[in-house]
Amino acid sequence: MVQAPHLLRILVVDDHVELAENIAEILDGQGYYTEVAESAEQALACLPKQAFDALITDFRLPGLNGAELIAAVHQHGNTLPCLVMSAFTDQETVEQARTAGAGVVLPKPVNIQALLVALHQILETGADAALVSTKPATV
Amino acid sequence: MDQAGPPALTFFERIKDYVRFTAEDSAALLEVLPAVQPHFVPIIDDFYDAILTHQDASKSITGGPEQVARLKKTLTDWLLELVSGPHDEEYFLKRARIGRMHVRIGLAQEYMFTAMNRIRVRLLNVVYGHLMPWPEKCSATSRAFEKILDLELAIMLETYRESLLSANRAAERLATIGQFAAGIGHELRNPLGVVESSVFLLRQRLGSQAEGGGDPKVLKHIDRIGNEVKRANKTITDLLELARNRAPTREAMSAQSLLELGASAANLPEKIDISHDVAPETNVLVDAGQMSQVFSNLFINAAQAMNGKGTIHIKTRPAGTKVEFRITDEGPGVPLDVAHRIFEPLFTTKAKGTGIGLSLCRRILEAHEGTISLAPHKKHDDETLGAEARGATFVVVV
Repeated sequence: MVQAPHLLRILVVDDHVELAENIAEILDGQGYYTEVAESAEQALACLPKQAFDALITDFRLPGLNGAELIAAVHQHGNTLPCLVMSAFTDQETVEQARTAGAGVVLPKPVNIQALLVALHQILETGADAALVSTKPATV
Repeated sequence: MDQAGPPALTFFERIKDYVRFTAEDSAALLEVLPAVQPHFVPIIDDFYDAILTHQDASKSITGGPEQVARLKKTLTDWLLELVSGPHDEEYFLKRARIGRMHVRIGLAQEYMFTAMNRIRVRLLNVVYGHLMPWPEKCSATSRAFEKILDLELAIMLETYRESLLSANRAAERLATIGQFAAGIGHELRNPLGVVESSVFLLRQRLGSQAEGGGDPKVLKHIDRIGNEVKRANKTITDLLELARNRAPTREAMSAQSLLELGASAANLPEKIDISHDVAPETNVLVDAGQMSQVFSNLFINAAQAMNGKGTIHIKTRPAGTKVEFRITDEGPGVPLDVAHRIFEPLFTTKAKGTGIGLSLCRRILEAHEGTISLAPHKKHDDETLGAEARGATFVVVV
């Protein structure tokens, strides 16, 4: 496995905490440093405490949703690259996530390889990555 | 409903009552049969000429001269029974079946209506010509023809109404499923995502622990979990796709690669073969994702009908600007009593079926302005299927 050159810090947000933890564990195995949050509110509390290099969040969350979380993060000039995972990849959801500043929208169930590639991409190009994937990962 | 009331009249009894069609009318028709029968052939030729020479009306006849010959034979029998009777409930059921056939081949109501009128005018001309010397008889017999043809029209309209109602019911059911699907699909995606990612992590651990192997049984079961999760995800994707009703994004592609996409998505057992006669230059204008899902579903059904062993035969031929695919399996065929329901959402005959596959196929074809239907079984209909056709044949036109 390719090790990330520096320990890049990724915040993984999903109210289905087992999923967030599994994704975090996979990323740990790839040489990232990860933190897990169960809600947008928890993520927002987490962010000021340490510097993160990217945010991976579910779209549907209790309280603020993934798009609203990203909008809140980006509000004060923060350009943290963000990736949204969603079981719904209809036009409206994708649009909302993109407008909020998500670099990539991945359909759930998230294909792990696709996630790793997308994460790499937004880390390279920043929050404004133009790639939006709406095709189901499993075809 | 008033429970104590007289027994409800059947549809046929009600309309017979309304047009005042009586036993005398039946008798008058039968009496004139020898005189009108020789005119059936020109009447029928005229009837189909009108349809075949019309650009739009002729679209519902895709089977070439053989189909026209079969349809003419059906119409001959239809005319014969119209005049000879008996005009009983069995007669009605038979007429309704023929009406449904017109709905099935997609003959628009307006053409059915005007075509029926052609028959009426021609038949009445024959009656007038024959009975002119006997004005009273002429008027009674022509009235009998008017009445029976009114009945026929009412039956035809009823079959169109039935089909509309059934389509409405299907649409309502789909809307309900859609609401469920969105919620349940989301709920299931996450647990499956956890299983999938746990499988990924387990595989990694096993790989690093036992360089060059590990317990093959453990690996086998991990693969099995992974495959079953994929299958569950496919069901959810189908369900969500059905609920979402996405408009197709069409592009030209070869029919061969479309079938290949469908076959690869179906992940068929090893002992299932697909034989087809598709020419490499045959192209279709379709949404590749959606239409490959249609073929994948048909292939999976076919494989299941053959218990995982046999050949799926695919025959193609041009149908106007579209392509007709006939997909035949070697299974037992679809039982007659369920054949008319198999495209309804949530209808299934499989112990493990969801009843989504074929209704999704139909919806996708409708969005493509194409059709999908089950060809009538050879035993029950005189439409000739391919020589290999022992099982079910699905006809996709797109």
